[in-house]
Amino acid sequence: MSASAAPKIEVLRVSKQFGDAAAAPVLRDVDLACAENEFVCLLGRSGCGKTTLLNIIAGLVPPTAGEVRVDGEVVTGPGRGKGMVFQQNALFPWLSARGNVEFGARRSGLDKAGAGRVADELLDLVGLRDYGARYPGELSGGMQQRVAIARALALDPQILLMDEPFGALDEITRLDMQAELLRVWSSRRKTVVFVTHSIMEALALGDRIVVMGGGSIAAIHDVGLERPRSRSDPALLRLHDTIWQGLH
Amino acid sequence: MNPRAANALLGAAGILLTLGAWELVARSGIVSQSVFPAPFHALATGLAKVPLADLGGHVWISLQRIALGFAAGALLGVGLAVAGGWYRTFGNLVRPVVELLRPIPPLAWIPMAIVWFGLGEPSKVFVIFLGAFFPVLTNTWKGMANIDPTLLRAGQTMGLSGPELLLKVAIPATLPDIATGLRIGWGLAFGVLVAAELIAAESGLGYLIMNARQLGEVEVIILGILVIGAANLVTDNLLARVLARWLNRSSEGSLP
Amino acid sequence: MGAAATRHAAVLQGAGFIVSLLLLWELASALGWLRPHSFPPPSRIAQGAWELAVRGFPEGVRVWTHTLVTLRRIFSGFALAMLAAIPLGLLIGRSPTLDALTNPVITFARSVATLSLLPLVIVWFGTGELSKTLLIAYGCFWVMLSNVIAGVKYVDPVLVRAARTMDTPGREIFTHIVLPAALPRIFAGARTALGVGFMVIVGAEMIGTIEGLGALIMEARTFYRTDVTIVGMMLLGVMGVLFALGMEALERRLLPWHRGLSEVRR
Ligand SMILES: Nc1ncnc2c1ncn2[C@@H]1O[C@H](COP(=O)(O)OP(=O)(O)OP(=O)(O)O)[C@@H](O)[C@H]1O
Ligand SMILES: [Mg+2]
Repeated sequence: MSASAAPKIEVLRVSKQFGDAAAAPVLRDVDLACAENEFVCLLGRSGCGKTTLLNIIAGLVPPTAGEVRVDGEVVTGPGRGKGMVFQQNALFPWLSARGNVEFGARRSGLDKAGAGRVADELLDLVGLRDYGARYPGELSGGMQQRVAIARALALDPQILLMDEPFGALDEITRLDMQAELLRVWSSRRKTVVFVTHSIMEALALGDRIVVMGGGSIAAIHDVGLERPRSRSDPALLRLHDTIWQGLH
Repeated sequence: MNPRAANALLGAAGILLTLGAWELVARSGIVSQSVFPAPFHALATGLAKVPLADLGGHVWISLQRIALGFAAGALLGVGLAVAGGWYRTFGNLVRPVVELLRPIPPLAWIPMAIVWFGLGEPSKVFVIFLGAFFPVLTNTWKGMANIDPTLLRAGQTMGLSGPELLLKVAIPATLPDIATGLRIGWGLAFGVLVAAELIAAESGLGYLIMNARQLGEVEVIILGILVIGAANLVTDNLLARVLARWLNRSSEGSLP
Repeated sequence: MGAAATRHAAVLQGAGFIVSLLLLWELASALGWLRPHSFPPPSRIAQGAWELAVRGFPEGVRVWTHTLVTLRRIFSGFALAMLAAIPLGLLIGRSPTLDALTNPVITFARSVATLSLLPLVIVWFGTGELSKTLLIAYGCFWVMLSNVIAGVKYVDPVLVRAARTMDTPGREIFTHIVLPAALPRIFAGARTALGVGFMVIVGAEMIGTIEGLGALIMEARTFYRTDVTIVGMMLLGVMGVLFALGMEALERRLLPWHRGLSEVRR
């Protein structure tokens, strides 16, 4: 990745506390910088604050202290520049699968015809071409998640924030989707922050892996391997062990 | 200021605003005060005409009728629905009869109640009973039908069967629905009360306000309406609390 | 035995039971075990229905009139309530301040049994149509209002978040996210409100009118025609079922996406 001038995303001494001052902080003085077009994976145990950090970057939740900058400007709210795939189902149940993706495409400024085309393309990409007319309630959990990914992509954001997007998928679809995501990422060039609790998934995808623990960043690993990566690459497995041990 | 206190203050302000608007309209003289009295005037006059002790007596009698009808409706409703949900043949026989009678509004039974039970207490209690019975029955039945089969299987793997399975698994699993039915039933019992007390009553809140109409005492009518509303609100809250505690103790469920 | 066969057997059992009850009832009347005035046998009820359709009860007011009058009253009150409650509910549901301000008043107004207003509206508006319409409107209004408010207030926040990450402007969040998300609740409110209207009408028609099904069943009893009373009760029941079915069909038409969910939950 480029060691170019200003980072795309800067997280500066961000702390977060829910409720009153007596409560234990969920995030403590988190510092993180993501370069333009970089693929960063956030890894950590359940409840360590990954979603919270992602929400703060998205501008959905204000930090208690510190700030987040995108392109050098302080984030004050959510916006089109930052697409998000949520951990829980956030599809609009009253819109069909295609309608949901179209919604994102329309928001990116396309007209109705253009949005329709993009929606078809993206549904195809996530393997749901024949399910466009279905409502979310009529799709399986994994299918819903794929529609949500298509919707975020339809927005064509510069930054893609993904909160365990493949968590609900079966292993096979999951590997396919990882490959697809890398393909989209390399062709459309986006800055991705990808939350996962699978070390293997982080290793398959990320330029860097940010390990979180106890409300702060415990370690950052540069992966530095060519893609596509082989899961049996000794270098990758060594890194796997390092991360694993670091978590204990 | 914390948000709860702020909300309570706003709520109090809302009540005052409503009373203020009422007072203003009443005093403006658009309509005569004897037809549309101001709130405090209405309460004061109403209480002068119906002393607190008498009013308490009417409340007490009405509550007794509701409690009696509700208890009968709840017992029979839960009983029939549990039996019908558990014993399939019994359910197949009873369900259609219930479904035929259920759509008839409780008040529509008033004439037959008079024919069957005369003008005394039983006919009033019967109509209130109907108001409570059907919601309790349908909710309980729905709960019985929707018990998670995994729960029943879990019970069976632990050696339960027959009535024991019913008592220890099926009924506890249905409690949240029973509770919902009880609350709806209580509300309906209250809704039916006034009409039930139209049946040649000489006491009770429904009698109080219908009688006041004949005497042209608008203040008493307003007093009666407010008391009925308050009684419903207070008792419904009590019931909700009792049910919530009961549910927490005996199952994982919670009130909707 | 398959599921269809099981259902088939259940229907047969139920129908058989009802038919035997009716036969038993007829027989018991014929043998003089049941007093025909208290329990008019099915044959008498059928006669009553025929008479009601042809000659009317009271003479000249036929069953169609009674039914239409009742329907008209329910619908005018219901429509009035919808017109007032939906815009008001949307307004209150959107504003936490307005919600806190109105909440106690709404809770109390909803607790007031609608029929307890009967004497008051008679004093104010007489025993004519207006009183009945207003009474039904009152009952429907508060149920509807609290459902609309709740619908808007309890929209899943993750949906609003998702829209916000797509840079949706505030006005569009309301029209495109909050409103559709609230619709099922609003619909449920309308269904409950119609039920309330249906209950209130019977009470309202017991006073100051000879038209309408509520009036019919009371009148018939006074003239010792319990067979006609029962016909009226049956008509009210049928009407209630038709209403419920109609609302269900409407919801399926207007909220096709919601059906999938409700079917899963069953
Ligand atoms: N709105 C909130 N109010 C109070 N506490 C919260 C809130 N949101 C999150 N928390 C707390 O913050 C901590 C971190 O939550 P977060 O959702 O960020 O975890 P996570 O790392 O995403 O976990 P998972 O992998 O299970 O999704 C948890 O202890 C959680 O209880
Ligand atoms: Mg999370």
